Amino acid sequence: MLAAQVLINALVLGCLYACIAIGFSLVWGVLNVINLIHGSFIVLGAYLAFGVYQWLGVSPWYALAIAAPLFFAFGYLLQRLLLNRVISAPVLVTLTLTFGLDLILNNAMIYYFKADYRKLTLSPPTGSISLFDVVVPVDRLIATVSALALTGLLYLLLRRSKVGRAIVAVRLDRDAAVLMGVDVKSIYAIAFGLGAALAGCAGVLMALIFPISPLTSSVYLGKAFVVCVLGGLGSVSGALAGGLLLALVEGIGSTLIGPAHATTLSFVLLIIFLVVRPQGLLGRKGFE
Amino acid sequence: MVQSRLASFARVSIPLLLAVAGGGICASAASADDVIRFGAPLPITGPLAPEAVKQQQGYDLWAEQANKAGGIAIGGKKYKVEIVYADYQSNTPRAVQTTEQMITQDNVNFLFGAFGSGAAKAASTISEKYKVPTLAATASSSQVYDQGYKYLFGTFTPNDTLTTPLTRIIKAKAPDVKQIAILARNDLFPLAIAQEMEKSAKANGIEVTYFEKYAINTLDHSASLSQIKSLAPQWIFVTGYINDLLLIRKQMVDQQMKAAVVTMIAGPAYQEFIDAAGQSAENISSAAWWHPAEQYAGKDIFGQTSNFVKLFRAKYNSDPDYGQASAALCGALFQLAIERAGSLDRDKVRDELAKMDVVTFFGPVKFGANGQINSLEPPVFQIQNAKPVVLFPDAIKQGEFKLGVN
Repeated sequence: MLAAQVLINALVLGCLYACIAIGFSLVWGVLNVINLIHGSFIVLGAYLAFGVYQWLGVSPWYALAIAAPLFFAFGYLLQRLLLNRVISAPVLVTLTLTFGLDLILNNAMIYYFKADYRKLTLSPPTGSISLFDVVVPVDRLIATVSALALTGLLYLLLRRSKVGRAIVAVRLDRDAAVLMGVDVKSIYAIAFGLGAALAGCAGVLMALIFPISPLTSSVYLGKAFVVCVLGGLGSVSGALAGGLLLALVEGIGSTLIGPAHATTLSFVLLIIFLVVRPQGLLGRKGFE
Repeated sequence: MVQSRLASFARVSIPLLLAVAGGGICASAASADDVIRFGAPLPITGPLAPEAVKQQQGYDLWAEQANKAGGIAIGGKKYKVEIVYADYQSNTPRAVQTTEQMITQDNVNFLFGAFGSGAAKAASTISEKYKVPTLAATASSSQVYDQGYKYLFGTFTPNDTLTTPLTRIIKAKAPDVKQIAILARNDLFPLAIAQEMEKSAKANGIEVTYFEKYAINTLDHSASLSQIKSLAPQWIFVTGYINDLLLIRKQMVDQQMKAAVVTMIAGPAYQEFIDAAGQSAENISSAAWWHPAEQYAGKDIFGQTSNFVKLFRAKYNSDPDYGQASAALCGALFQLAIERAGSLDRDKVRDELAKMDVVTFFGPVKFGANGQINSLEPPVFQIQNAKPVVLFPDAIKQGEFKLGVN
């Protein structure tokens, strides 16, 4: 029964990891920008959910509807006004810029929200579902379903919409896309905006599960990074596969060799992937 | 083209980076003759930032009270107190650098220790080298004090003074508790206290069925908790800091874990833990070095414990916990030692600290030969009806131990 419980835990956690990583993967895949502000976006989304519930008394699920457009606009403007200026510079320049922006956003959150850990506790609590002694917390289940829905929406957007096809085209061949009349700067801004919107929505979902503090942003960022390397950049299903693989390795590793070594194990796996299969499990050139 | 891009990048990023760097450093005012400067290296940013806020509150309250009374008296002259803060970003090697910088560049007269046992131990090598008396407000592990240092003093008793009375209470009130599972954060203090608990449990005939460490910044504990649940111990003992403990408690509820006794160190002493954990905090037991319910008539600047609590509430609109109280105590002890020494001479102040034997608002203070306080009896408490209720020592006992954590 312990094995079944560990597997279920890992499946649910894997979907949450995918949710954390999907926006990061999109930005990295399309813009070739390692967006170090991603973790802080997630935390800001979590504060949005906390604020909506705690101060306005509205269910945190509604925060998803606010987070998506708000973060999209924020991300769009950030890319349009700042990142687009250095987008063709070497990757280290965009990395440094997002690092600096992350420092500013993170310290601003520490200043305004304080570094205290807060917890969004639903009243009444959502509880857990128990089946043959295997327990699944309802909030994690809802977050998992929402994460899958968000991932599915992004997949459809990239597959079916004109903007989505343009994003994929830019990812595949920037120069050819320009020749076909695609406004690359605008597509970059839309892709970054989408990445930010996904991070904000992930933050809303994480607020129901994890304690909220600006200090957790680096943890989210670290997980997103590992998931992208394991699953492969430029693929929606890759983020899901990477998330599930990471959660399984951590869960099984923690049970067999102890929780102290679970993180080490996941980073050993990361190094192995970087050496043996740098494109990740499902990585490919086109983002679809 | 590339140059112009880089130039525009520099125009954007350099002022931003300068702004960030400027925000990270707490500049101090120029020194004056009638000012005593105390250096306080703190993890103002990074994962330990909440702890730094607490220590800062304690130091600031003391400095405010000392200055309100005119300052520290030396030979008929009053010296104002100035605390020089510096951020070591929750990075222990940087705490060492910061400490050295405070002594050599900021010219502080005395030092407060860095946060926690790990950083305090690392930074103490510097203060010892320069012979600067240092009071560590939050270092309890004996490894900090077994270095043979003369200038380091600490206001937390050894870790076993927390676990021994706890085990004694559980043995007396819950004789059916035969097995314990221990989950510890892999960090100096949380691990040290978990090891003390393991020793204490074994010495009292309680079987340790699970003992594991989890890595710092662990985001999910479901695998460890599922394993503990499958072992069904009557006592679950978890160590870590408030973020770890909140997450673990939430995941215990998620996994429908129940136990006769659940002990967590060191989160439940903080009001934030009780607020954030809500109903799930009920009946969680813990131990800390100080509690606002204590009643001591101190000879220090704060006097009665109740007076300290009143002053703290007035300034911060919340109840003080042991971290804030210990930081304020360190200031008050420096004040006593300097006034008794009648001098700012570091060796004389060090000698006064070494022979200190005084009752304070925090409790009786006397340091052992290794510099660690050995006169305190830390309280054991349990969260009951969203309030910490003291179970031990008997002199300040507020209620009886309750079994069962759901």
